[in-house]
Amino acid sequence: MKYRTLATSAVAFCLGTAAMAQDDVSKAAVLETYADIAAAKYEDSLITAQRLQAAVDALVATPSAQALAAAKSAWLAARVPYQQTEVYRFGNAIVDDWEGKVNAWPLDEGLIDYVDASYGGATDENAAAVLNVIAHPTFTLSGAEVDATEITPALLEETLQEADGVEANVATGYHAIEFLLWGQDLNGHGAGAGSRSWTDYAQGEACTGGNCDRRGAYLKAAADLLVSDLGFMTAQWQDGGDARAEVMADENAGIVAILTGMGSLSYGEQAGERMRLGLMLNDPEEEHDCFSDNTHNSHYYDGLGIQNVYLGEYVRVDGSLVSGPSLSDLVAAKDAALDAEMTGKLSTTMMALGRIKTAAEAGFSYDMMLERGNAGGEALVMGGVNGLIDQTRSIERVVSALGVDAIAFEGSDSLDNPDAVFQ
Amino acid sequence: MRFLIMALTLIWASAAGAQMPDATRIVTGHVLPHYRALAEQSRALADAAQADCAPQNPALRDAYGAAFDAWIGVSHLRFGPSEAGDRAFALAFWPDSRGSTPKALGKLIGDHDPIVDTPAGFKTVSIAARGFYALEFLLYDPQFNAGDDPVYLCSLIQAVTADIAANTAAILQDWEGGYGALMTAPGNDTYRSQTEVAQQFFTALSTALEFTADTRLGRPMGTFDRPRPNRAEARRSGRSQRHVILSLQATRELAALLSDNDQVLDAAFDRALVMAQDLDDPVLAGVADPQGRLRVEVLQQTIDHIREILSTDLGPRLGFAAGFNSLDGD
Repeated sequence: MKYRTLATSAVAFCLGTAAMAQDDVSKAAVLETYADIAAAKYEDSLITAQRLQAAVDALVATPSAQALAAAKSAWLAARVPYQQTEVYRFGNAIVDDWEGKVNAWPLDEGLIDYVDASYGGATDENAAAVLNVIAHPTFTLSGAEVDATEITPALLEETLQEADGVEANVATGYHAIEFLLWGQDLNGHGAGAGSRSWTDYAQGEACTGGNCDRRGAYLKAAADLLVSDLGFMTAQWQDGGDARAEVMADENAGIVAILTGMGSLSYGEQAGERMRLGLMLNDPEEEHDCFSDNTHNSHYYDGLGIQNVYLGEYVRVDGSLVSGPSLSDLVAAKDAALDAEMTGKLSTTMMALGRIKTAAEAGFSYDMMLERGNAGGEALVMGGVNGLIDQTRSIERVVSALGVDAIAFEGSDSLDNPDAVFQ
Repeated sequence: MRFLIMALTLIWASAAGAQMPDATRIVTGHVLPHYRALAEQSRALADAAQADCAPQNPALRDAYGAAFDAWIGVSHLRFGPSEAGDRAFALAFWPDSRGSTPKALGKLIGDHDPIVDTPAGFKTVSIAARGFYALEFLLYDPQFNAGDDPVYLCSLIQAVTADIAANTAAILQDWEGGYGALMTAPGNDTYRSQTEVAQQFFTALSTALEFTADTRLGRPMGTFDRPRPNRAEARRSGRSQRHVILSLQATRELAALLSDNDQVLDAAFDRALVMAQDLDDPVLAGVADPQGRLRVEVLQQTIDHIREILSTDLGPRLGFAAGFNSLDGD
């Protein structure tokens, strides 16, 4: 069934493209598609987060190994659409101002729950690095006494998130939930993810890790908050929503927003902060989804989001296709060779990210790739980095070909000679 | 994902009627002498560590200070040879907002990792455990310099210093062995024109000033309610204020060469330098009280003013129209 839905829509899309080639592609139509895809991606993120919320509720109500496994599966599924939204982040202020609530990383997880002794204690940077809210109903934070006897979404959002002005104090979002489901990955560069036992949520004497009721309350509060935050962002992209209105307000600025999102995510964020830096540090914790060992997917779907925004087609979590006039069409009308270059480079990147993903799924996980002296891992990760950097050059060319305003991409000092990209 | 991100400066060139700086003078009179000094001081540092690796050894600490000074003297020239093979990252990993350096060093020491035994092996170690900032922990932090395993600590110090010497020698070799010529005789794949060479130096200058204002000064400043003196650069060896001064001196020299001794620009540097010297606060601890913070803030604004002169005056004179800046983000 799903296959058929997809095939039918794909035919419709092809016809649509053919018809369009005869007319000029309008920027307004491209922006419409961009906003429609955003609406679909955030709604998919919301739908899958609601499934995660239901699985978390079931785990807390009736803890079992199966219930924990179900919640982990739901988390992994929820990441698929969400990561594809990240291309909307840079360039749309409304998204960027908000995204830290749901996807902040890296985190000092000792703020939330117990950690292994090897994690260390409070640091120069973060006095709350081992606060352990789950074990402490009351504590002192930035000199003030905090009553956390009841763990609520408000406590997470208003008191703990970025506590003491430290960004590593991540109390909410996907990665806080990930930590509460998987626990720390203590395997270093070895195989295996975090291995939290379901008994961390067990009631009575079966409880391990202490304070199982508070841990359950924390997990539920974080899942509830994720759903409400994603609900907010979904609404922003509906007809009449602020994010959509902002994109549609000025055609050139809207196109700049698309390209800024593509370029900044490709370059400074993904190639630099998330991939190259981790490699230079050889640190297994420098992987984006470090508790679950899901980093290969995190990178893959980030890349896919960039590609599908350019091509103007997104496959929803129910298998249906959202598509329309695209940036690719707009570029092709101006400079067909440049569109071919852009499309080709996006495909090359997806091939490289796909290699990381397949290797990881076959047992060579991302933290193993980061290990000191691991030449195969380095080549895989650098393949992705190089593809992302190379596609940024073409994005830059698209900016000048379309004659839209000057643009600055997020850079990164963990990239080789960042300026060269724009020369 | 939030640390290390900085905004890129994009520059569009429109060379018509532009005043072109003398690239040969910049390379032979600025870049090469400073990188030579770095390579020499780094060699001396490695030799000092071979002679006596005790962290408290004054000769070792002096050599460390001299080599680190030389690094700050080139740290604005981050392109080309310094970026090949992660060299500059391995010389200077800072800021370290996640405490990767003490963590990585602690792991090497805890494991008695034999990777320190060969230079080739040590080159594969995390950048967080290499270079001047890692060495500062080993020489000055009581957590490391008084550890219960002086033998391994000694090997580690010798490995770090030898790695610094090898890295700085390799950078110099690349500059002398061809990269300098790419800049002095443009019309190659790296630099297509004199304008691109000028752009490279201009961007280096502007980025270095931004780093000093926003990171060297901005990080310890934190917010008014929550200053962060512990985040000051190289505070363990008391070098925070010194780095601000040295970096201003080095960028002033480059600015003079790029601008054909522009007096307005030079006066702006002079003001900033006098202020930086007057702070009389080696580790910038003053950020913690309102008076001291104000002084650091005024210095920061003075440096921002230099950047403004660059973008509104020098840039256009060199034929660049500076567009942009940072889209918010992290």
